Amino acid sequence: MSKGRRTLKKNTGRNSLQRSTILCGAAALMLLAAWCPAADLRAGVSLEELPQGWHDDRARDLTLTALQGHRVVLTMAYAACHRLCPATMDEFKRMQRVVDARGEIVDFVIVGYDPKNDSPAVWHQYRLSRGLNRDNWHFLSGSQTATEQLARKLGFPFWTYDEHVMHESRAVLFDTSGAQRAVLGSRDPRWSDAL
Amino acid sequence: MLNKLLILARAIALGAVLSTVSLPAAADSVSDAKLEELQKKLDQSMKMIEALGARVKELEGHTSNGTVAAAAPAPDPQRLQAVEQKVAQIETANATRQTDDSGLPIHGFADVNVGNHNLYFPYAKGTNVGSLDFYLAPKLGDRVVSLAELIFETGPDGHVGTDLERFQIGYQFNDQATVWVGRFHTPYGYVNTALHHGVWLADSLRRPKFVNFEDKGGVMPSHTVGVWVTGAEREGNGKFLYDLYAGNGQQIQGGTLDMQTGGNGHGAAIVGARLSYQFIGGAVDGLLVGVNGFTDKVNDDSTNPALIRLNMVGAYAVYDTDTWEHIIEAYSFHDKNLNGSPGTHRSEAWFAQFGYRASWGVPYVRYERAMLDQLDPYFNEQTFGASYYRSALGVRFDINAKSSIKFEVAHTRNTDDRPATDYRPSDAEIGLPQQYDEILAQYAVRF
Repeated sequence: MSKGRRTLKKNTGRNSLQRSTILCGAAALMLLAAWCPAADLRAGVSLEELPQGWHDDRARDLTLTALQGHRVVLTMAYAACHRLCPATMDEFKRMQRVVDARGEIVDFVIVGYDPKNDSPAVWHQYRLSRGLNRDNWHFLSGSQTATEQLARKLGFPFWTYDEHVMHESRAVLFDTSGAQRAVLGSRDPRWSDAL
Repeated sequence: MLNKLLILARAIALGAVLSTVSLPAAADSVSDAKLEELQKKLDQSMKMIEALGARVKELEGHTSNGTVAAAAPAPDPQRLQAVEQKVAQIETANATRQTDDSGLPIHGFADVNVGNHNLYFPYAKGTNVGSLDFYLAPKLGDRVVSLAELIFETGPDGHVGTDLERFQIGYQFNDQATVWVGRFHTPYGYVNTALHHGVWLADSLRRPKFVNFEDKGGVMPSHTVGVWVTGAEREGNGKFLYDLYAGNGQQIQGGTLDMQTGGNGHGAAIVGARLSYQFIGGAVDGLLVGVNGFTDKVNDDSTNPALIRLNMVGAYAVYDTDTWEHIIEAYSFHDKNLNGSPGTHRSEAWFAQFGYRASWGVPYVRYERAMLDQLDPYFNEQTFGASYYRSALGVRFDINAKSSIKFEVAHTRNTDDRPATDYRPSDAEIGLPQQYDEILAQYAVRF
């Protein structure tokens, strides 16, 4: 009887070990599954690797690869933002002045976080009301999927709180071949220094 | 050894099942069709790449053996580029699918406060924990929308309570019509549906007192449990916005308005509407104007409950630009006692706030005034239902994109002498000062 109990105990112990191993393996795989999407957030994504189907503020089609040949500074914004986005536009204006002084051409790309509300017409009004009329400034709208994809690939975290978009101040600089060269954020005092 | 392998295999199988189950359920049929199509394209592309890879290896082999086949055609660079581009597109499409299915992110807001009075309950002083606000907006498909706002906050009694402040499930037909069912912020004025519970979001340290939430000194039904239809239509250089709603009639419970989340006892409803116009572009870009109103049947939880027909009409204007934030809201109440001593009562409340968005911060000034008829049981039975005026001066500083510090000095004077009634103690017994000056500081974050 006691031997039977010992055997039972032994089996129970082995079963317990097996269960533990199975659970550990499962947990490891779940962690791996959770980690995998993050692998897409690799640094150095080029313009070619980003979604290409965008509309500018005149509702014309624009691909990001079409901007290769010039340096590109890309940010994301939403038209109803009155906190961070105006500061980002100010940084872009400062950068524009720097490249003007050097006689260079840089394309400034602003991709809308909120395509549902930020249509080409809204962006067109946005640039008119703020005097952002230069041809090398591109205010882009795309599909929700393309927007989320671009944000993820370039590391623009955002979420929406009703009609508000919670986001950060950030821009990505690409060289003339479309390769990523710098990431600018709120810790960089003057974005124009990166040019 | 075999057992170990068996265990490992089980672990992998279980892990695979769990990791699959941990993803949300299948997308809708349209997404499935697209994915299937993308999968086919990916398979075709992979086959093409394999074939090209094999060909390259073959050519490399020839090169290393010094026997380059002069007649062998080189891979077409354009075709290779096209294949690479196609694969990249498919990769990004698949990556998007992973994100959609990667679970529900939790975001929210939190705030802590220091002052010579509690910012909502002036009988308390010192440091106070404001709220910890969890905001969830699970994606349920292209048209099915949902949101929940779960808050842990300090109540009038100083204890932390939990409240499902908003819980809505809706269907978006198009931009012109979304139908929500659940508990939502009643669409009146601007503040109630623009600034919500996340304190960090607002430039000011707190809402005007009379439009604050029911359990923070507000006297209006800021939450409704019912059905809400909302939408917008672009028209020239502007946009029309509308809201129609109906829900459970509110009840005053223990001196606080309750939205009757589980349904009300008297079967009456609140019915209301709001119509707004937003100017886009031109000299008045950023101006939003609107009118709103509701009718509600409210009772209380006393043994001999009062029943009040509450009628409100109001108007508001907001000028919200990169430089300015000005908000004006005005309300007029025409209430009628439906039992007890008959009578009609008229009350008014309004506020005006002017803010300037400077590069270093947002200073603001606000004046609010509520003239609430104390013969109206609707106001008289509410703990914070006294008439008052308040003038306030404040400033917001953003530390970074996720945190801010706000300061406000304010003077408040209650202009009604409110003795005890059968329903509630006097203001003095509650500890509400007749007039008081406040110096308040708030640290607010989003996450």
